[in-house]
Amino acid sequence: MSARTAGLVACRNCGQVHQIDTARCKRCDSPLQSRDAQSLQKVWAWLIAGIIAYIPANTYPMLLTSTLTDRSESTIIGGVIELVDYGAIGIALVVFVASVVIPVGKFVAIMYLAISVQRGSYRNQHGRHRAYDVVEFIGRWSMIDVFVVAILSALVQLATIATINPGIAAVSFALSVIFTMLAAQSFDPRLIWDADRTIHD
Amino acid sequence: MTDTPPSGPAPMNIRPAKTPVMQRLALVWIVPIIALAVSLGAAWQSYSDRGVRITIAFDNAAGVQAGATEIRYRDIRVGLVEAVEFDEGLSTILVHARVDQDIAPYLDADAQFWVVRPDVSVRGISGLDTVLSGVYIEGNWNTTADVAQTNFTGLNRPVLTRANQRGTTILLQSDNAGSIAAGAPVLHKGLEVGYLEEPQLNFDGSGVVVQAFIEAPFDRRITSSTRFWDVSGFSVSFGAGGVALNVNSLASLIEGGVEFDTIVSGGDPITDGQSFTIYSSEQVARDSLFVDPSAEVLRVAVLFEEAVTGLVRGADVRFQGIRIGEVSEISAIVVGEGNEAEVRLQAVLDIQPSRLGLGADATADAAMTLLSDFVQRGLRARMVTGNILSGSLFVELAQIEDALPAIMARTSGRYPVIPTTESNISDVAATAEGVLARINALPVEELMNGAIDMMDSIERLVDSDDTRAVPSSVIALLDEARGLVGSEDLQAVPAELRSVIAEIDAIVASANDADLVTSLDNVLAVAASAIGNIEVATRNLPRITAEIEALTIRANQLELDALVTSAASTLDAIDAFVASEDTRALPGSLNGALDELRAVMADLREGGAVGNVNTLLASANAAARAVEDAVSTLPELSAQAGRLVAQSETVVASFGERSRFNAETLATLREIQAAANAVSALARAIQRNPNSLLTGR
Repeated sequence: MSARTAGLVACRNCGQVHQIDTARCKRCDSPLQSRDAQSLQKVWAWLIAGIIAYIPANTYPMLLTSTLTDRSESTIIGGVIELVDYGAIGIALVVFVASVVIPVGKFVAIMYLAISVQRGSYRNQHGRHRAYDVVEFIGRWSMIDVFVVAILSALVQLATIATINPGIAAVSFALSVIFTMLAAQSFDPRLIWDADRTIHD
Repeated sequence: MTDTPPSGPAPMNIRPAKTPVMQRLALVWIVPIIALAVSLGAAWQSYSDRGVRITIAFDNAAGVQAGATEIRYRDIRVGLVEAVEFDEGLSTILVHARVDQDIAPYLDADAQFWVVRPDVSVRGISGLDTVLSGVYIEGNWNTTADVAQTNFTGLNRPVLTRANQRGTTILLQSDNAGSIAAGAPVLHKGLEVGYLEEPQLNFDGSGVVVQAFIEAPFDRRITSSTRFWDVSGFSVSFGAGGVALNVNSLASLIEGGVEFDTIVSGGDPITDGQSFTIYSSEQVARDSLFVDPSAEVLRVAVLFEEAVTGLVRGADVRFQGIRIGEVSEISAIVVGEGNEAEVRLQAVLDIQPSRLGLGADATADAAMTLLSDFVQRGLRARMVTGNILSGSLFVELAQIEDALPAIMARTSGRYPVIPTTESNISDVAATAEGVLARINALPVEELMNGAIDMMDSIERLVDSDDTRAVPSSVIALLDEARGLVGSEDLQAVPAELRSVIAEIDAIVASANDADLVTSLDNVLAVAASAIGNIEVATRNLPRITAEIEALTIRANQLELDALVTSAASTLDAIDAFVASEDTRALPGSLNGALDELRAVMADLREGGAVGNVNTLLASANAAARAVEDAVSTLPELSAQAGRLVAQSETVVASFGERSRFNAETLATLREIQAAANAVSALARAIQRNPNSLLTGR
């Protein structure tokens, strides 16, 4: 039995339960919706936008480092390889995980959730819900790369001796993270359980 | 008919109303569409903006890095090196680069590339920024787009002349490149107006050619009559003007340099690539203007009996002070045969006919005819000291007044021979020593004292009352004479003459009896002789002055030492003469004589003896003229003395400050001192600021 079948709708913001035909939450005034009909569309739209933004984030330089003697542009993967070359495996791993594994994992996870909901799959509903929670939680931490670039750019501005400037990839990466977060947010987790009900009703 | 109608309403097939596609689509799809559009747009733009790939082959590409080394044009980045690799056979290094699309059309056949590295030279340090930033590739091409190329050969060193730099490129030729280096300055009146490119051997290896770039507008100063000369290093020259040390800028001291000047007007304008010769010095360059290499040269020989030490090839041949040619060869030849054989030194003179005043297109034969004509009239060759310090000699063709007759021998030897005369070679050391010794030996003090004494005496003589009395006495005499002429007695003479004559007749008659006439004659004779004596005495006065004159003339003609001593003694004598009592008494006795004359005339007037009055007057007149002469010679005497003193002064002064020798000695010393000062200043400047050696300032 779900809230919908009981003629109720819960506010996604504060949790207050209303009659199903109530338009706005009496407590927090946010719009109430028993099921978001366009949820999956939004998920796909944001997800595609995030994937598109993720391409330049990897092909264009993330950091423009110019020192007195040198001037280098490093992409994300280039930077990771450089770090490995220097022997800093740990840092390389952190960067690789934060910049590549997590975003790509999020794309995959969201895609999996969206497809499974579309197909009306009822398997492993608990696991999928947990995956959704993880994606939502981890989303904000993906910005760590962008923050590093922003802080470095602000700190290392020593005129001609050494300067670090953000590259196009930094903006693209930030957009990609934002789009992915929006995609995750657009996903209505209640849809996971709707499939289950369809089968059992 | 069992047509049973349906028992109830037909089941309705209810479907939800189909909502339009547009309504079902969420607005959010705009976001990925925009993202895609932006991405595709950016990708397309970056592809279309991608530069043109070119390849430059370098022999040495030290420091060029793929992805880091830029290609710059006039210091602005226009491309980036993408890859560096060896070509097949590892002979050259291929640098692949992408240049901006808007630049690519200009990369035609004239494009040049070279690697800019730090360069420390005398003129300064360039490319210092590349020490830290790494090298870059500099490109140089003109602003006209031609057939674009993608393969280029890099240069090993920077080109100095950038495309579109306004100016003229000329070709300079030199015997060797010892004094010129790439980048050495081209100077014009001390201004740096251009520079030299890399010197190269000319096609047959006989010399060096170097391209020089003269910046606009200075290139307009170059015409076909412009001369270039080498100003590298420093030059020390010993000349008649003393020692001259010429040091140009420090850069030209080390790297060399070339200066030019257009000495005569009327040259034709030049075009790019015009060829010029670099002369070894400014003097040679200037001299070359007057030598037309294509003109005919008259070669004559001169046989010298004395040693020709100091005469070198290239020494001037001068005629009346003008350079007409040069000594082209010096050799020894045997003259005569058997016991009379002797070795003579033969100098071959190259004479430019045009310099003899025969016109620009004069032939050697015309010059030969002219010269043999001159030789018949006394033209002789001799060696003359050109520079007393260095002892260098030149050959002078001089007109000798009392030369023995000679002709230009055309037959003996290969060249016609100009007869010689005694050479005028001065040994500087001996001459200078002798001159100084003689200057030292001069009794300058005595001479001056004598001159001062003489001036004093003359002044005393002129100032003496007696001398001053002379004019007044003369006036008195003239007054007397006028009075005599104007006296009633004299005017009565014609009237009385008759009676006198009558009386004379009577007197003569009675005189015949008495000896009256005889005694009157005696009286008159005495008077006449007295006047004659005065006349003689006064006539001696001019003779004395004449003798003084002769003496001074002799004094003038005397040798130097004798002159000074005799001048001194002359002055002493004049002094003695002027100071002597006799001379001083002269005006006095003159007055006495005049007094006597006056007395005699008074006697005459009183005595009424008018018979010999005419002779008497004539005698008086003569005496007066003699006195006048005597008086008029007095100023001349003092003038003579003045001239003598002036001449003495000239003699002394010629050894004094204004003498040429002295001036030259002084100038020499001064210039040596200036040179020493300049060198020490240079040394001090370098000591104070050693990096000026690097910066060139």
